[in-house]
Amino acid sequence: MDRIRKQTVSRGVVVFAFNSSKYNYVEMAEYCARRADQFLDLPTTIITDEESAQTITYDFDNVVIVKSDKSNTREQQVWINKGRYQAYELSPYEETLVLDVDYIINSDKLLKTFDYSDSFCCHNRTEMLMYPEAPQEYLSSYSYNSLWATVIMFKKSDRAKQIFGTLEMVQNNYDHYANIHSFVGGIYRNDYALTLALKIVNGHADVPSDYIPWNLVHVGKNTSVYANEVDSQIPTDGDYWDFNTEFTVMFDHWKNSKMRKEYVTIKDMDFHIMNKDLFEGIMNG
Amino acid sequence: MDTKTLIKDAKARFSHNSAKAYLKEKYNSKLIIAEQGGLWRADAQTIALLSSLSSQFTETTVLIDTFDNPVQVDIVPLLESLTTLYNNVMTEWYSEWTELENKR
Repeated sequence: MDRIRKQTVSRGVVVFAFNSSKYNYVEMAEYCARRADQFLDLPTTIITDEESAQTITYDFDNVVIVKSDKSNTREQQVWINKGRYQAYELSPYEETLVLDVDYIINSDKLLKTFDYSDSFCCHNRTEMLMYPEAPQEYLSSYSYNSLWATVIMFKKSDRAKQIFGTLEMVQNNYDHYANIHSFVGGIYRNDYALTLALKIVNGHADVPSDYIPWNLVHVGKNTSVYANEVDSQIPTDGDYWDFNTEFTVMFDHWKNSKMRKEYVTIKDMDFHIMNKDLFEGIMNG
Repeated sequence: MDTKTLIKDAKARFSHNSAKAYLKEKYNSKLIIAEQGGLWRADAQTIALLSSLSSQFTETTVLIDTFDNPVQVDIVPLLESLTTLYNNVMTEWYSEWTELENKR
């Protein structure tokens, strides 16, 4: 008689969060982790530094302390976003979703990504909410269209290891690649580094299965987003949460030098907020 | 401030075009399914082709999946999966669309 061996594969979410003088990224990571638990039923590991770890209040699956690289700046502020390549080595899971903390999970859609690839996938196209004609981003006029490091699914494999190893190499030689691809190298961007790393690993060809087959939905410029309700804890200090999945998106529509505000209500849809102030507004109501 | 007051104070207008685009984005992604070693979109074209082949009592065929790979598939199980997915997603899409249309 044939025996069926049930294989259990460990899966989880990994987030990187390093507090800055302006934003509490750990709090954002906690918001993201609660939603990963609710909608994806996945545990979350946070990768952070000693200082930021002091502010953790959520019961993460794992807390991994690393030395943060503070060599990147944006808008005259230290922006700790380097070191994403460490996700491969530091993830305790065989199958991992690496998420930006400002990605709002409102559905179980991301679970599908585990079915799409044996090694690695990320977004290669974006959609701006209420601004569908927004062009895709390119590294420069002479280079590739940007991939997005906001959501990365990888499975422990030689190929994924190679991609993250190459990501480290690109990070260490970022100015050189900025020079070759004619983009501004002053500010390190994970999206650009990932684009280059994946292209190098693939011999500068496209591998369709590396791309998540739907668009990454952004809330972009001239667009605001507000939660219709605040996530509430039940009871007030309890373990259960009632999660809001309805949001109002407002867009400043400019026509003939006149601005008209338009809005739409969305529900059960994952999206990425670029504006951290808006994100804090959603978290705190 | 709650969002209703915010909308009123900003004199914002509901955008039906954006609502349509949002629904398309949301539900198109739900029509994708990984099955029998390929990635499929439960769209009218694929379902019609599978349906046509199954009516000719063909058991297997080779289809090009959304990754542009040729994949040999068992027609009936794939047709059943895609049809079920299509019906579920389109029903949800229609229901949310009707809800938004009532905002007119």
